[in-house]
Amino acid sequence: MGKSIVITSGKGGVGKTTTSANLGTALALMDKKVCLIDLDIGLRNLDVVLGLDNRIIYDIVDVAQGRAKLHQALIKDKRFDDKLFLLPAAQNTDKSALEPEEVKKIVEELRPDFDYILLDCPAGIEQGFMNAVAGADQAIVVSTPEISSVRDADRVVGLLEQKDLKEAPMLIINRIKKHMVNDGDMMDVDEITRHLSIKLLGIVFDDEDVISSSNKGEPVVLNEKSAAGQGYRNIARRLEGETVPLMSLKEQKKKGLFEKVTEWFKRK
Amino acid sequence: MANEAISLKGHKDGYEIVLRSAAKFSDIEQELKQLLDHLYKDNSKFDADQVDFKIQTGNWLLSADEKKKIEDIFANYPLFSIHRIKADVILKDDAAAIIEKNMIHANADIIRNGQIKTIDGDVLFMGTVHEGGILQATGNVYLLGKAEGIVSAGFPDNNSAVIVGDVTHAQQVRIADLVTIFDDEVQPDESKPVVFVNDLHKLAYLRMDELKKLRPKIYAKFGGF
Repeated sequence: MGKSIVITSGKGGVGKTTTSANLGTALALMDKKVCLIDLDIGLRNLDVVLGLDNRIIYDIVDVAQGRAKLHQALIKDKRFDDKLFLLPAAQNTDKSALEPEEVKKIVEELRPDFDYILLDCPAGIEQGFMNAVAGADQAIVVSTPEISSVRDADRVVGLLEQKDLKEAPMLIINRIKKHMVNDGDMMDVDEITRHLSIKLLGIVFDDEDVISSSNKGEPVVLNEKSAAGQGYRNIARRLEGETVPLMSLKEQKKKGLFEKVTEWFKRK
Repeated sequence: MANEAISLKGHKDGYEIVLRSAAKFSDIEQELKQLLDHLYKDNSKFDADQVDFKIQTGNWLLSADEKKKIEDIFANYPLFSIHRIKADVILKDDAAAIIEKNMIHANADIIRNGQIKTIDGDVLFMGTVHEGGILQATGNVYLLGKAEGIVSAGFPDNNSAVIVGDVTHAQQVRIADLVTIFDDEVQPDESKPVVFVNDLHKLAYLRMDELKKLRPKIYAKFGGF
C-alpha cells in the first residue's frame, strides 16, 4: 500500500512543484513506483517541469467528473520504465471544480498500485489546499530561508496539525544560499527548524542548474553534479528510512595560484 | 395541612414562599393561587402598596416552563411581584463553567501564525506563541514559555487581569481593551515582568515583588504564605 504525501508551503514560488518533480524522480530512481498528482488547477506546471506537457489527454477533473478512467489520465514517464506517473491538473477550470472527497477517492484508487503518491499543492490555504490535504497521510512543508516564507509555513503547519494527518508534518528548506548564510544575511537552518518546531527532512541549496534543467523538462536530480540534485536525492533516501547526514554549509573556496603552490610544498 | 405544597414565611427583609420540591407542580400552582387570593383580599396586613416575594425551591431547579407558569400566576395580582426565584442547587454545566473560570489551566501548545488560543480562566502557559499567533485568556496569563506573538489577558473586558512573565519577545500585549505594540521605540522592561492596567486605565509594568501588593488575591489562590 502506498503512502500519500502532500507537498505544500502556503507561500507561492518557494519550490513546491520543483520539489514534487525532483522528489518523485529521485524515488523512481530508487526503484519505487511513484505517482505525482498536480492539484494546481488552472495553473498547472508540474507536467512542464517533468517534460510531459505534450502528452496530456485527460486530467484530474476529467477523472473526478467521470469523463475519463483514472488509468487513461495517468501519464507514464518513459525515462523510468513504469516507475513514474503523473496525473495532470486541468487548465480550463478553477480550483472549485474539485472536491476534497474526490481527491481522496482518487488517492485511494491509486494506493494499491504505487509506493508513493505525491500531491503537489497550489499556493494559498483555500480550496486547493483543502483538496490536496484531504488525500494525504503526511505533509512536507517547503520553505525558503526568508521571513515571509517561514511565517506562511508556520501558518500552514498550524492548519495541518488541525487536520490530524496520520503523521506529523516535515520540513524542507529550499533555496539556501551558502554564502549568505555564512555571512549571517540569511536565516540559518537551525533557526528555521527550531522556530517551526517540526522535523527537518532536508535542505536544498540554491542552484542555477534547477532553472536550466526545469526549462529542459529534466528534473535536476538527474544531474549528478548538481548540489540541489544531491539535496533531493538525500531527501528521498531519508523518506525511505535511511540515515543521511545533512549537506555541509561550508563553502569550498576556489584556491588561488599562491595557495596551490604553498600546498604543493606542504605535501613534501 | 401537613403535606402542603407551599409555605409562606416572613423575614426581616420580606416574604418568602417555599415550594416543596416533592410536591406535584399542579398542587403547587393551585395552592399558590389560593394563598395569593387569600392575601390579596386581606391586604390590610401589608403596610406597603407593593409586595415582593422571594421564591425558594430548595433542591429543585424550576424549568423555564414552570417559571413562566408561576410568573403568570403572579401577573394576576398587580400588588404582588416576584423578587427572585432561588434554588440551593445549580446545573452541572454551570458548576463546571464556574470551576473552569476559577481554575489555572496549564497549557503547552504551540500557537502558530494565524491561530488564536482562547482559554476560559487563568492560564499557566508553557508552550510557544509564534509570531502572528494569539494567546488569549479571560483571566490572568502566567508565562513560562516563549511568547513571540500576541499575549492577551482579561479578554474581552476584565481590567483586573495581569500578565506575568517574559514578554520581551512578544509583538503585543493586551489586557481587556488596552493594547501595547512593541517595536523599536516601545520595548518591555525585562526587570518588570508584570503587566497590569493602572488607575489611569493604561498598561503599566511592575517588578515581580510588587505583584503581591497589587493583586493579593492571586497569592491567596496559589496558596502559601
